[in-house]
Amino acid sequence: MAEQKSMPSDLYKCVYSFLLENKFTKAAQQFLKQTKVSPLDENDESLVGIYDFWAKSPEAKKRKAPNSTAGSKNGPSAKKAKTSAQSSSSEDSSSEDEEAVAKPTKAAPPAAKVVPAKAPAAATKAASSSSEDSSDSEEEKAPAKAPAKAPAKAPVKSPAAPAAARKKDSSSSSEESDSEDEQPAKAPAKAKGVTVTAAKPAAPAKAEAQKKQESSSEDSSSDSEDEKPTKAPAKPAPAKAAPVKAAAAESSSEDSSSEDEAPPSKKPKAGAYSAVPPPASVQKAPAAPAASKAKDSDSSDSSSDEEDEKKVAAKPAPVKTPAAKPVAKESSSESSDSSSDEEEAKKPAVKVTPAKAAPVKAAPAKDSDSSSSEEEEAETCSKDSSSEDDSSSEEETAKKPAAKPAPAKTPPAKKEESSSSDSSSEDEAPAKPAAKAAAKPKPAVPATPASKPATPSAKPAAESSSDSSSEDEEPAKAKPAAAKPAPKPATPAAESSSDSDSSSEDEEPAKVKLAAKPASKPATPAAKPPAASESSSDSDSSEDEKLAVKAKPVATKPAAPASKPATPAAKPPAAAESSSDSSSEDEEPAKAKPATPASKPATPAAKAAAAAESSSDSDSSEDEKPAVKAKPVAAKPATPASKPATPAPKPPAAAESSSDSSSEDEEPAKAKPAAAKPATPTAKQAAAAESSSDSDSTEDEEEPVKAKPAAKPATPAAKPAAKPAAADSSSDSDSDSEDEAAKPAVKKETPAKPPVTNGKAATPKAATPKAATPKTPAKPSESSSSDSSSEEEEEANKNTVKPATPAATPKTTPAAKAKESSSSSDSSSEEDAAPRAATAPNTPTANGTNGKRKKGEESSESEEEETEVTTPKNKKAATTPQTFPKANKKSSNVPFRRIREEEVTVDPRLNDNSFDAKFGANGDWGQKANDVLRFTKGKSFRHEKTKKKRGSYRGGAISQSVNSIKFDSE
Amino acid sequence: MRPGFSPRGDRGGGRGRGGFGDRGGGFGDRGGGRGRGGFGDRGGGRGRGGFGGRGGFRSPDGGGFRGRGGGRGAPRGRGGGRGGFGAGKKVMVEPHRHEGVFICRGKEDALVTRNMVVGESVYGEKRMSVEEGETKIEYRAWNPFRSKLAAAILGGVDQIHIKPGSKVMYLGAASGTTVSHVSDIVGPEGLVYAVEFSHRSGRDLLNVAKKRTNIIPIIEDARHPHKYRMLVGMVDVIFADVAQPDQTRIVALNAHNFLKNGGHFVISIKANCIDSTAPPEAVFASEVKKMSGENMKPQEQLTLEPYERDHAVVVGIYRAPPKDKK
Repeated sequence: MAEQKSMPSDLYKCVYSFLLENKFTKAAQQFLKQTKVSPLDENDESLVGIYDFWAKSPEAKKRKAPNSTAGSKNGPSAKKAKTSAQSSSSEDSSSEDEEAVAKPTKAAPPAAKVVPAKAPAAATKAASSSSEDSSDSEEEKAPAKAPAKAPAKAPVKSPAAPAAARKKDSSSSSEESDSEDEQPAKAPAKAKGVTVTAAKPAAPAKAEAQKKQESSSEDSSSDSEDEKPTKAPAKPAPAKAAPVKAAAAESSSEDSSSEDEAPPSKKPKAGAYSAVPPPASVQKAPAAPAASKAKDSDSSDSSSDEEDEKKVAAKPAPVKTPAAKPVAKESSSESSDSSSDEEEAKKPAVKVTPAKAAPVKAAPAKDSDSSSSEEEEAETCSKDSSSEDDSSSEEETAKKPAAKPAPAKTPPAKKEESSSSDSSSEDEAPAKPAAKAAAKPKPAVPATPASKPATPSAKPAAESSSDSSSEDEEPAKAKPAAAKPAPKPATPAAESSSDSDSSSEDEEPAKVKLAAKPASKPATPAAKPPAASESSSDSDSSEDEKLAVKAKPVATKPAAPASKPATPAAKPPAAAESSSDSSSEDEEPAKAKPATPASKPATPAAKAAAAAESSSDSDSSEDEKPAVKAKPVAAKPATPASKPATPAPKPPAAAESSSDSSSEDEEPAKAKPAAAKPATPTAKQAAAAESSSDSDSTEDEEEPVKAKPAAKPATPAAKPAAKPAAADSSSDSDSDSEDEAAKPAVKKETPAKPPVTNGKAATPKAATPKAATPKTPAKPSESSSSDSSSEEEEEANKNTVKPATPAATPKTTPAAKAKESSSSSDSSSEEDAAPRAATAPNTPTANGTNGKRKKGEESSESEEEETEVTTPKNKKAATTPQTFPKANKKSSNVPFRRIREEEVTVDPRLNDNSFDAKFGANGDWGQKANDVLRFTKGKSFRHEKTKKKRGSYRGGAISQSVNSIKFDSE
Repeated sequence: MRPGFSPRGDRGGGRGRGGFGDRGGGFGDRGGGRGRGGFGDRGGGRGRGGFGGRGGFRSPDGGGFRGRGGGRGAPRGRGGGRGGFGAGKKVMVEPHRHEGVFICRGKEDALVTRNMVVGESVYGEKRMSVEEGETKIEYRAWNPFRSKLAAAILGGVDQIHIKPGSKVMYLGAASGTTVSHVSDIVGPEGLVYAVEFSHRSGRDLLNVAKKRTNIIPIIEDARHPHKYRMLVGMVDVIFADVAQPDQTRIVALNAHNFLKNGGHFVISIKANCIDSTAPPEAVFASEVKKMSGENMKPQEQLTLEPYERDHAVVVGIYRAPPKDKK
């Protein structure tokens, strides 16, 4: 079973069925005992098929499958990706959630695909049924949105729903498998994530009334699944958190989805791939980069990444340590991370931790917060889930190795830019559960509106589109298959998505508010009334994010969150909120446990009142901001403070909330990169078309960073109009739209909340307008610049990366989205990873570099935000460089020594080897020689000794005394 | 050598062997001129060169010398030895507490071994013959600056476990200078398995072994005892002077193959060859610790100062029987 264990859970079914088919009954039974897998659905791909797919996939070449298993894993992912592309993803998901996930995972885009697939598939699969349910729920929640989003979400949800029913076991397993799948193919993970998200959303939708607990449980379950070993524990916690979050549940569901995605990645790592760990590390690194902004957080992230990579189980601790080391913030984040890890399941936790760490790192301050929140969540449940999500995302990134790393990175980057949205979505989903209530509501609301609308409308397509976009980007690089699938959906979605986005945005306002309210319990209440405020907050958050993170990233993030929320939101607006919350939570947790608690409190508060959401938002925003800006110590402190503040501020805090969301975004970007990716996928899915704008924006941002090339397609689809100008521009436009909606406000908002208000108004309504108009204004430039830069970089780097990522493409995409942040995170992760393994590190590095570059570009581009962003970026950049050297240094630092004197105990009698110390030295035949030779050295010594050898030496009398030192033994 | 020469000459003169003294001086010069290149000097090279040189040298000095020198050949070394150490009539040789080793008591004491091949000097060392009644016993000076075993003996090692009749495995035989003395110690009843990996050194070793039947030269890597397992029987003692980082392992390998239970080992450790960055004391302690892990129980340790720098000799027992500890 050892092998099995190392394999993605998604493959278990395949393996099981394979065993049965080949009449290895005993083996099958044993396998069943150990894995408790359910028989493979007819629709599921066979192990052989998966392997074939994998073998044929481009990735296969790149990846040197250590063994068939690994290959199979990869294969599945790749296959899945392809399948998903074909819409098979839906089937996959349906056939086996896990498998589906796995397959979808492969088709990272899959996530998106899955969503689409699900939408279509809803009919198709049983899973589809689940998806349908979820979709239904989503639909119910947001009719308009629901359609598009619902499909996407639905799929996700459906799985989740089933999973929820199964909960940790099945769902978790499925999720895990998904995560694994994702690893193989990031897309799958995403798909799963999506599914999960969907499930969660569905749950929220269904249970919105019920609250988030279910969703949270689902989330937690998903999380737990992700964590698998530890996961179970973690899941519970998540579940709990979910309850708490209730509203957040949706977001949590999203988070879970993101987590799921992450888990896949993680799982992959855990699984056979050695690379996986590196990726994780990479992811973490990315997060770290983000964190780098918040140096502490970065360090923590990197450490976590490294740790994660290094030790799956141990990772948690290491992560913690690193985090702690970084600084107070880091320590807090670390502590939170560690705590979350510990809480969750240390083993799983390891993964989780990594993820968390990544998130934390990613968010820097925010991340830490998020991590802390995650931890809290873990403890609470929701936190766990969130943390898991993060970790999962991270893991995914990391796991995905090359591909994922990139994706992961991308997400981070995206987070920063659009990644923020992705990350936010992911972050939100995972962490959000906890933070969801608080952060999600705010961000979600604003973002959600836009994103949600988009998500819903597009989700099926949107996700696919977004996914596709991401995939496209990725595909462009290396994953044709994945890309293809994605593209298709994307294209349609793109257009529709754009529409949907706009619609979503429009809807968002309403939905968001509504959804937000429903989705995030706290948020919902608050959100609704605040709806506007929320939207404003969203914008604010976006602004905040932008400002705090990198302005753009932030915006992106907001968008992402929004999109995510939207996705989830699709389910209910709440998702958005929850997403935002989660994001904030994630960040907060990551940053500081205190914060997490605070966030939790906030959540409750949020639940209690809308204010809570706002508070959470504010917290998140604060966290993010502090983290980002203050990243240093401040991040954590801020987080706590922010949290506390959040509650109170909430109302006022629309802006804060926005900031929170932004922070979330940032977090996502940094730490979330991993999470973000997942989220992104989700978001993308949800956003799909419109989302395109949202997702696009997120994606765009992400894409720009990561896969702008690929993204372009997506972007184009989403922003056909805008993009036309340029893929980048399209991405920009997307980002712009988002930016405009959120970012515009955000940017401005950062400066002043007013924008927020505007943003809200504009955002919701003018998702479309924003996309176009806003984009043009400031965002375009930023995003575009970032995009272009990112694209260029991406293309160059990504090509490399993507290849690695193949399966991960989908994920990659997310990563790409996060790219900036992710890149930073990647870089950090890379740095971290670097020490570990050159290969994995390299890829990550490349990604990271790209991401960094992208970030840098973005940052530079980003106007107001730029400064802040830049700083983070710079930090990241700095970090990255350091990382590589570090790796080398590590190996070279310690000189080779055969004898370590500190390890040798010398007999006191033998402590002096000199002649004078010898017994009977005085008057000895050799005393005269000693007098001559003792002071000579080198050439003169040789000369003197030579003279002695000639026989001219006269020493006098020879004594026969015994002068040796006897050992006791004798 | 000039300074040294005159004294010798004086001494020689004192002894009434002016000729020898001169010759010895000449010899000394030659030796100095050659430098103690090591092998060349020690081994046949020196002998050869020496002869040639001597011939040329002496001819100028005078036929008398040459005639004598020619007659003696090797003895010339002896002559020098005598001259140097003031052997001759005044020389008294007493046995050392180590069986087979003697101390030449004269104006200056010297460590000597009884030359197994009378009239032959292996590496230009001085020889001194003592006439006891009709039998003439020749001893060869054993320079502690050239031989670590001699340095250990002079330094005051308690046991060398090499005595007449012993079967000794000598790892790191080099040119055979020390091996020749070990050969003297073990005598005709003993055996010396001289293992040397260097062919250049091995050439000299072979020349030494040609004259000494109790030396079995083995030109192989001591790390691979299986390569010469067919040549070697069980031995009583292993002497190792292999300046290698893994010398303890090498000794252990050979001990496992050829050393009898309760046999002994004498290992010369050059700290710089194991870790030049660590303090010698730590290196020695580390090596001693390693030995303990190889069924080799260290019994005593002795510094080789001032004869060798940063060297130590460790003597121990292999698979010591519970009661039979030495």
